[in-house]
Amino acid sequence: MDILTSLAIVAFAGLIHASFQLSVSVLTLLSGHAIGAKKSQGRVLRMTSSYTLGAAVMTLLVLCFVCLIVLHIFGTTVPLLVWALACGLVAGIGIAVWLFYYRRRSATTELWIPRSLATHLHNRSKATHDSAEAFSLGLTSVIAELVFIIPTIVIAALTLLGLPGAWQLAGIAIYTVVSSLGLFIVWALIGSGASLARIQKWRVENKHFLQFSGGSALLVLGFFVYVSKVVATVTGAF
Amino acid sequence: MSEGGPITLVVKNGARRHPEEFNKEKLHSSLVSTCLSSGAPTGHAESIARRVVDEVLIWLESRPEVTSNDLRRVAAKYLKTYHPDASYLYEHHRGTL
Repeated sequence: MDILTSLAIVAFAGLIHASFQLSVSVLTLLSGHAIGAKKSQGRVLRMTSSYTLGAAVMTLLVLCFVCLIVLHIFGTTVPLLVWALACGLVAGIGIAVWLFYYRRRSATTELWIPRSLATHLHNRSKATHDSAEAFSLGLTSVIAELVFIIPTIVIAALTLLGLPGAWQLAGIAIYTVVSSLGLFIVWALIGSGASLARIQKWRVENKHFLQFSGGSALLVLGFFVYVSKVVATVTGAF
Repeated sequence: MSEGGPITLVVKNGARRHPEEFNKEKLHSSLVSTCLSSGAPTGHAESIARRVVDEVLIWLESRPEVTSNDLRRVAAKYLKTYHPDASYLYEHHRGTL
């Protein structure tokens, strides 16, 4: 794969990551509790900024960690079997997103996560009073969604390892920024004083679209990488 | 209810928790908090919360025991008259995650 195609795959994987909603849900809750507790607009902005930064930092760390693991086990030449397995994982999670991402009987944005974890995140967002706590909540929210984001991170890591050193750094930055786009948008909306109810209503009205597009995009990503890497190598196209 | 009237017990979510006495201050502060989250100014939020609490107290008069879900649903219904956005957030706040 050439550099441009590799970076496009990384950006697309980041965009799929951005369509997942757990971090956005926690950000909505965090800002709702902070505004409701009569905290100043400046303090709310600091807390939401710290939260967003925490989520971005954890995404960066997880991506680097997966890159390091793959590099340690396989070196820079990853076997085709691993690529094929990663593509299968991406496709499987894509179907799981279609089926399980939102709870079926819920009229709101209730996610797949166990209720005990949802209650914990809810309580933590309520108990968060300063920027440091908000930062750690951002870190935790990425960990909580690991099941669904790991395929995009694995594909991004495998793709990045095939790039020259400087482009690897660019790719990591692209993935981190693109995967945090949803958070940046909600952060900007909250900062500009948009109503949380309107944000939440938009999320509820469009949740099936986000679910379908997220699952479909994972299938497309898995298929594209499989064809452009595994099939192309086996048939000698590269 | 407090203040000399009949006591209404609130059954919380999850059967293992004991029912607790209805606390109108708690309801008031949660309503104020939701109105503020929906962009209402502080004075307006306080005023809306007072009116909704009064309406909920009337609804509770004939009920010795209610669930916290009932209480939330009824408060959201009354809140809708004054601030539809806040009502939406109040009713669905547990469904965000």
